[in-house]
Amino acid sequence: MTLVLVVDDDQDLAEMLGIVLTGAGIDVDLVSRGDEALEVFRNNPPDLVLLDVMLPGLDGIEVCKQIRAESMVPIVMLSAKGDTHDVVRGLEAGADDYMVKPFRHQSELVARIRTRLRRTNTDLTESLTIADLKIDVNAHEITRAGKVIALTRLEFDLLVALAREPGRVFSRDALLSEVWGYRHSTDTRLVNVHVQRLRAKIEQDPEHPEIVLTVRGVGYKAGNQSK
Amino acid sequence: MGRVSNRLRTSLSLRVLLSTILLSSAVIWLSGSILDSRVSAGVKQVNLDSAINEARSTIVGARYRLILAKSSTPKEIDALINEIISSATTVGARASGRELVLLRGPLQNASEKDFTTTSNLVDPKSLPKELRKKVRSTAQLNWAYMTIKYAGSLQVPAIAVGDMVSIPRSGRYEMYLLFPLANQNKTLDLISRSIIFADIALVILIGLITWLVARQVVRPVREAARIAEQFTSGDLSRRMRVTRKDEIATLGNSFNEMAASMQTQIMRLENLSRVQQRFVSDVSHELRTPLTTLRMASEVIYSSRTSFDPQIARSAELLIGNIDRFERLLEDLLEVSRFDAEVAVLEPVDFNLIELINRCIQDLDLVAKENGTQIIFTPYSEDLPITGDIRRIERILRNLLNNAVDHADLKPINIQVEYTEHDAAIAVRDHGIGIDENSLLRVFDRFWRADPSRSRIRGGTGLGLSIALEDARLHNGELEVWGRPGQGAHFVLTLPRKAGNSIESRLIRLEPKDYPQR
Repeated sequence: MTLVLVVDDDQDLAEMLGIVLTGAGIDVDLVSRGDEALEVFRNNPPDLVLLDVMLPGLDGIEVCKQIRAESMVPIVMLSAKGDTHDVVRGLEAGADDYMVKPFRHQSELVARIRTRLRRTNTDLTESLTIADLKIDVNAHEITRAGKVIALTRLEFDLLVALAREPGRVFSRDALLSEVWGYRHSTDTRLVNVHVQRLRAKIEQDPEHPEIVLTVRGVGYKAGNQSK
Repeated sequence: MGRVSNRLRTSLSLRVLLSTILLSSAVIWLSGSILDSRVSAGVKQVNLDSAINEARSTIVGARYRLILAKSSTPKEIDALINEIISSATTVGARASGRELVLLRGPLQNASEKDFTTTSNLVDPKSLPKELRKKVRSTAQLNWAYMTIKYAGSLQVPAIAVGDMVSIPRSGRYEMYLLFPLANQNKTLDLISRSIIFADIALVILIGLITWLVARQVVRPVREAARIAEQFTSGDLSRRMRVTRKDEIATLGNSFNEMAASMQTQIMRLENLSRVQQRFVSDVSHELRTPLTTLRMASEVIYSSRTSFDPQIARSAELLIGNIDRFERLLEDLLEVSRFDAEVAVLEPVDFNLIELINRCIQDLDLVAKENGTQIIFTPYSEDLPITGDIRRIERILRNLLNNAVDHADLKPINIQVEYTEHDAAIAVRDHGIGIDENSLLRVFDRFWRADPSRSRIRGGTGLGLSIALEDARLHNGELEVWGRPGQGAHFVLTLPRKAGNSIESRLIRLEPKDYPQR
């Protein structure tokens, strides 16, 4: 069964999250302090972390950084603040997605979590190439000249989405719906931040990207395959 | 000319300088002319007195010598007269020396020799007739100013002093001594010129002194003005430098005290409003976590409402509906507090405005139908790219459309879009209950309701239009409203197509086209 680690200092909310997620068939570990989160995470590795930003002990951004340093597990931040500054800070710390309290519907929460947990479509034994990178979709592995590059699941999904349709220019909205599973959202900051992070990991020179290209005014596309 | 008067208006020191020069010129000119006239009168009097004295001694001397010569021959008398002339005048010194004129009076022994003579060829006709009459009719010395005319054209101003003398046998003669004033006039000219020169030098000197003094006074004033300006433009730490103990220093000290007290006040107010805004923001954020729990709990209850009593099931519906409302209110409050704190920022992206409008209409379609109205929008073009904060523009549109749907009164709502290269305008026109004149002014006020007795159909927060206006202004755009009771309302939103620009023109007239013109 799937396990989600919920880190939130509000006992009631944590309990309520537990009720909702359990109802959706997801196991839940509850932690109320930031400085305890990492230990629980190590002892019982979850499939996904739901992380509040404001936590006693250690703040959520810091917890996010530490988890990211040792794992590629999907992290969804919960924030009581929807201001750009806080959102970007969370994403830069390594979160894959964020949700601003109060969530619109519990179904939204569950849907987001499921999208993040979903294995990238693996019914095909796929092997893609993009620029000088080899993507083994099944093994969930990216290599450049035989060397493995570690990506988070979300970064991997983002790269695969672009690589699967080499000629297509993806708008940010299209990426939001394909990679994040949003039906309609206008928050394109998510895409920008993650593209930056992906580039930092896979591009030879992130300042002059060759793999994930920006199409001004539209969105992104995969770089030249035949290189 | 305009520049000069402008400089005069703007420069205190120039004004002080100019008025000082004007006033001192007047005073100096007056005193100069008084001095001039007094001096010249004095000089003339002295000359006149000496002329009269000399003339008297000459004439009296001549008279005695002529009386003593009563038994002389005409030849001897002639010699005597020549001697008198040569001792009284300077022969050959025309125009500068004294002259003597001897004229034969009336009623004489015409048979006797006429001793009429003039020195240096002075024309006797140049003697004033008045003087001659007086000399002939009175038994004393008479004098007058005159102009000596010499044979030729030389003329010289002079004093003429004359009296009668008797020449034995020949009769009575008028004797005049003429004292040319050329030297006196030269002296007077010199004095006038000196006075004028001194006047000019004095005015220039006074001007210079005034300029220096004015600068001394004006410089600190100008400095104070500059500092006050910087203070006004927000640099609250500016202070005047006070080094002396004069009035300017008092001004500086007062200014500095005022600045310090204003700075404290402003900082206190800023702090206060910061604390208050912080409080509003914190409260809103603190409310979010319990609200999330509430919301999830109510959804869990709501999802199993079919198994409850009808009353409890209805309660679950009301619960979830009001949590929605509460949440919207909280969002709006938070947004308002951002505007108040001036921390609201534009996050512009490129998007298609027509597409956004269509999406908003689509989302409201069902609600519109439920309210017995429909939203009609037939754009000329399907593509209207603009750069703006899509979240805010969408919010403006939703607020306007929601408002129109709420007040449509079963009549259709029309959307109109006009644009130029630079601007884009969207109008939302309903034909419902309308707005009266007083209410027009208050439509954008927070929590204002057109008719308090009218129950709200749907759960608006009362902040929608006020936020819409702030959103429009944040784009440098304008949101305006027209309305008449029973004639519906017309909201016109004008935005620059590129965020950061200002709007150039109003593309849609506020008074709607379909409104009957008077």
